Amino acid sequence: MSRERIEVRGLTKTYEGGDPRRPTLDRIDLDVPRGHFVSLIGPSGCGKSTLVRVVAGLEDYDEGSVRIFDSTPRQMCAAKAVGFVPQSPALLPWLNVRRNITLPARVNRRAGKGSENPDALLRMVGLDDAARKYPHELSGGMRQRVAIARAFGTRPDLLLMDEPFSALDEFTREALQWHLLGLWERMSTTVLFVTHSVREAVTLSDEIVVMSARPGRVHEVIPVDLPRPRGDEVTGPRGRALEDRVRASLRGAWESGAAPDDLIPL
Amino acid sequence: MATVSKAAGTDPRRSRRTRPQSPPSRARRGSGRRRRSPLSPRVWLPTVVAVALVGAAWSWVAAGNPYILPELGEVGRTLASDPTLFVENAWSTLQIALLGVAWGAGTAFVLALLMSEIPVLRRAIMPLAVVLNVTPVVALAPALVVAFGFGMTPKVVVTAIVTFFPVLINVTTGLRSVSGPVLHVFRTLHASRLEVLLKLRLPTSLPYALAALRVVLPLSIVGAVVAEFVAAGSSSGLGTMIRNSAANAQLPHVYAAVACLATMGVLMLALTTLLERRLLFWHESQQRNPS
Ligand SMILES: Nc1ncnc2c1ncn2[C@@H]1O[C@H](COP(=O)(O)OP(=O)(O)OP(=O)(O)O)[C@@H](O)[C@H]1O
Ligand SMILES: [Mg+2]
Repeated sequence: MSRERIEVRGLTKTYEGGDPRRPTLDRIDLDVPRGHFVSLIGPSGCGKSTLVRVVAGLEDYDEGSVRIFDSTPRQMCAAKAVGFVPQSPALLPWLNVRRNITLPARVNRRAGKGSENPDALLRMVGLDDAARKYPHELSGGMRQRVAIARAFGTRPDLLLMDEPFSALDEFTREALQWHLLGLWERMSTTVLFVTHSVREAVTLSDEIVVMSARPGRVHEVIPVDLPRPRGDEVTGPRGRALEDRVRASLRGAWESGAAPDDLIPL
Repeated sequence: MATVSKAAGTDPRRSRRTRPQSPPSRARRGSGRRRRSPLSPRVWLPTVVAVALVGAAWSWVAAGNPYILPELGEVGRTLASDPTLFVENAWSTLQIALLGVAWGAGTAFVLALLMSEIPVLRRAIMPLAVVLNVTPVVALAPALVVAFGFGMTPKVVVTAIVTFFPVLINVTTGLRSVSGPVLHVFRTLHASRLEVLLKLRLPTSLPYALAALRVVLPLSIVGAVVAEFVAAGSSSGLGTMIRNSAANAQLPHVYAAVACLATMGVLMLALTTLLERRLLFWHESQQRNPS
């Protein structure tokens, strides 16, 4: 038990109707020290989203334990200490940008948690001009920035992000990565970040957790020893070497897993 | 959901994508499509031509067969000869229609809310509501007159029953059509059920509720007229007027009353459209270029 890390121990989960011999998550062990940025990467269907939802307290599990800074996921949510950024921006279309960002402050007031100044947040994600706009007036990248600002709104201890950038083009994506890193460095939040992009994982993370599919397991944890703040090293030889290492590990994860369901011929 | 109804098909997202007015958005300016002025002949000419053709056909039939269709001029003169008569009767019918909607839609809305929060209620109420919906109200109306006397009550009840179901189905669907990711965000914030209901489910259901209103407001006029038809002792209302005039073969009166009913229906639709523009400016149905 530690107040300074997220500890996942022997986490096993099979969805209702799933094959119990091949659990969606199979004895997952994971350690995330406070303040670290950790990426989850792995073949489609290996259980990344499921793992994130379990850590967010949105999903039950069969065996094992999840402790976040010595609390349960539910206690963390009750204290509004968790920020969640889903793959789609999930904004409320009837609220303008500013009201969307202050939404976390307006629900669950019992938690008594302070919140970030919305105007400062908007400035940090470069949306000060769009405060009065409605989501349907924004581009996809702007919407995702609003979702990120909203998640930072409660100054969460833990930020969970499930492929937040996967629907964006490459340029927008890179710009948002820098926005995110800026916010993260300023707020010293712990981040668990799901991605499909090796480059993205290397750019952002302190550690990259490579998962394998069917059953969903932790295949390898690769530390990213690039200096921060991140800059040219990411695209330099060290960054590329790390990318190659992650790709090789992913290939290994792919081969060690059972054949993906979608590749089994009918 | 196993139940199917007329209203279940009124998906608010698919309604009227190409409506001429909506708040200006940045996307449109660059779209290269120029907005047509409502004064341009390309906008009004087709409607005018269609109306003129129907009018001409009507007059042609009416000229030879006064007992099939009355002359349009005759209908106009009837309306003009005693406007207060028509206004009073229209008001009488309108009152029944609006009271019926208020009760029917109001009850349906409250029940939909309760059902969304208490699943047991849902299983209890839904089958009853379906049975009520498939029962022809016309068949029920005489019994309601016996039960509630000859005043306004039985007519309001008939109208309420007619308008109840579409609202129930649509609002129920609306309250449940909250997207998973948004709900996840609310749950990670540990929002209470009441907060989820007020800040998420209710606004989400608003487009569905208004789509139901679009169906139900004209329907309420039908309900009120049918109720007046069957309520033997009724002495006012356009429905009563139509029944009595038809019995005396006064076709101009019948069609004058029908014209009043149609006008009321159009006004109600205009009102819903106004409401939708006001309340749903953020919704896809109000955008001209859905992406
Ligand atoms: N709600 C659910 N009910 C039943 N099975 C589910 C559910 N959600 C996910 N699964 C199954 O669990 C497995 C893992 O799904 P999950 O969404 O966690 O994968 P993922 O790693 O996030 O995949 P992707 O990279 O494609 O998003 C899949 O085989 C999927 O079919
Ligand atoms: Mg996923």
